[in-house]
Amino acid sequence: MVDKHGEIKEIEVDYTRLRIPLGPVHPALKEPVSLRVTVRREEILDVDFVLGHVHRGIEALAENRNLIQMLYLVERICGICSHSHTTCYVQALEEIGGITPPERALYLRTLIFELERIHSHLFLLGVMAYEVGFDTLFMFTWHIRESVLDLFEKITGNRVHHSMNTLGGVRWDLDQRLIDDVKATLKDLQKSVHCIYDFFQDKTVEKRLCDVGILDKGIAQKLCVVGPTARGSGVSIDVRKDHPYAAYTHLKDCFSVVVKEKGDVYARTEVRLLELFESINLIQKVLEELPNGPIRVEENVIRLMRRIPEGETISLVEAPRGELLYFVKTNGKDGLWRLKVRTPTIPNVLALKPMLVGCEIADIPVVVASIDPCMACANRLAVVNAITGEEKIVDIDFLRRRRRKTWKL
Amino acid sequence: METLIDLLLVFPLVFTVSLLFDGIDRKLHARMQRRMGPPIIQPLYDFVKLFSKERIVPTTASSVIFTVLPPIAAAASILGASMLLASLLLGVSIGGDLIVVLYLLAMSSVLVMVGGSSSGNPYGAVGFSRKMSMLIAYEVPLLLSILSVSLKVNSLSYYDVISAQIMAKSMLALAFPSIAIAATAFLICVPAAAEAVPFDVSEAKTEIVYGPLVEYGGPFLALFKLAKSVSNLTLTLLAATLFFYPLTVFGGDSSFGLIALIACLVFALIFWFLTITVPRTIFARLKVGQAFKFYWLVALPLSTAAALLSVLGL
Repeated sequence: MVDKHGEIKEIEVDYTRLRIPLGPVHPALKEPVSLRVTVRREEILDVDFVLGHVHRGIEALAENRNLIQMLYLVERICGICSHSHTTCYVQALEEIGGITPPERALYLRTLIFELERIHSHLFLLGVMAYEVGFDTLFMFTWHIRESVLDLFEKITGNRVHHSMNTLGGVRWDLDQRLIDDVKATLKDLQKSVHCIYDFFQDKTVEKRLCDVGILDKGIAQKLCVVGPTARGSGVSIDVRKDHPYAAYTHLKDCFSVVVKEKGDVYARTEVRLLELFESINLIQKVLEELPNGPIRVEENVIRLMRRIPEGETISLVEAPRGELLYFVKTNGKDGLWRLKVRTPTIPNVLALKPMLVGCEIADIPVVVASIDPCMACANRLAVVNAITGEEKIVDIDFLRRRRRKTWKL
Repeated sequence: METLIDLLLVFPLVFTVSLLFDGIDRKLHARMQRRMGPPIIQPLYDFVKLFSKERIVPTTASSVIFTVLPPIAAAASILGASMLLASLLLGVSIGGDLIVVLYLLAMSSVLVMVGGSSSGNPYGAVGFSRKMSMLIAYEVPLLLSILSVSLKVNSLSYYDVISAQIMAKSMLALAFPSIAIAATAFLICVPAAAEAVPFDVSEAKTEIVYGPLVEYGGPFLALFKLAKSVSNLTLTLLAATLFFYPLTVFGGDSSFGLIALIACLVFALIFWFLTITVPRTIFARLKVGQAFKFYWLVALPLSTAAALLSVLGL
């Protein structure tokens, strides 16, 4: 090849390398993300990620809505952990406004929280079974998950976006009949989860999951991975224990943090399986200790919202996928200056590269599923130049400059 | 004249029976997963529907190979199955037809592989290399197990193997230990040849998006799917007739004709269920290395032992 100075350049081409575009549309991926994988035969040499296919601009939308409207918008950031998002957001507002929700509300939030963890983990376990080609287990797991969704519908009226939280409490109460329903479902659930646990110890499943996608403890700590991904690598972090919120302040000692040292896909799966049992126990504890009293503060929500002063805070919850962080800055006029959401997938997705390099092509879907990625939550704006293929992640400074320009106009 | 009509009827019979068996397989698979499952004639609907779809040839594909291979693959596999059915129906013997059937069986899967790699899609290329490894893994034990049958019967004709069973009034696999081992090896090879789940590494939908079939759609896909279900029929029919010829149970000499055909097809369906439907319900997919290892460490020694034993006369 001749370059622009007329000198002859030799370019080394490695014909044994193959670049496989995995995604944005691929049966193994539940949400669009583009993985550019370089392979030699079956071995993975390099991985590159492109996010940004489902960016929705919720953080920008937050700046021109009022606080109550935002409550329903943040719920829609994620379909699986919708309750985690609203809890995190509402906690921040309550901290700024000095509102103390009643005890019963905190317990009910925790109840929905743990139910959500069960349904999210069952979801992931089903996907995992699907990725290794075990369709029967996939169907079985999702069949069980359905019973949890039915519970949600009975309690809150909605299967996915529960709209349970409101400023200063929750919107729906449990009566004795519902409590019995939940207890009965939990009993069945426990049996079924035992069954799934046995299924996952099947030899063909173990062959696919053990010693695959290993993440060392050191790298896990360096990349700040969170949730089951971190706990599968021997890092014991759990917001429910470390910074208790809602009813976890009382229930802190009623559950244990499941930690596995091995760091492979099977460890991460096992962490989730064992957490299911912890969650079931925790819900039973919540139902036992459910205090009586009102489920929210007396005052009207709109009036509460107007009372929230200008201020900023950080709120943390343990979503099913890991630590979820909200930075909320209110403007004192029932709006927001800034909302910053750090979903657990953002740190976890970085860990995919050390996990994937050295694996086989067959391991890609399994490893990607093992961090339980939620791409829509993690997407940030990327601008792509269609002609040159150049990509640029848009940062906050860039947006500010743009905004100033438009203001001038 | 009547023979000719019979022969002409064999082709539509192969077509419908194989798709019907495929439908039964899907239904049973679904019922075992607590699902409703599609109606039994769904594969027929699929076939008709796919034929009404647009033909798309990707720009990266070498278009001649890409478009010519699907009909050839379908024709090859239908021809293979029809030879077996015609032999059963008419009781005719063609010297060396077992070799031809096995050749046609391998041909249809090689054609799928080549067609996939001609599409220019990287998934097709990965599928090609995986299928290549799998062919090497299962083809040898498959051939060896059939070889031990023909060594035993001293003939390479399908008809002769069956008439030997009728003469002996016993299924070959039950009469000789060598053939019993060969039958085991053959049945182990069926899921790999049929690309059922633990060994469907070359298609692996969550990994390489159906591998060789990734760029195929419309009539081409319909033909490849037909080729696949017909070769599944051939495989299970071979298992049912070479090793476990059903009519020997009843004795007597009315051993060819329509009754024989129906009995063999029912047996084939049972073997289809046992070797294709059940594994794909109860196992997870293996990696290509693991599958390869399984065949070379389990199926190959078994079939070699069978061949050696049958040479020794056991």
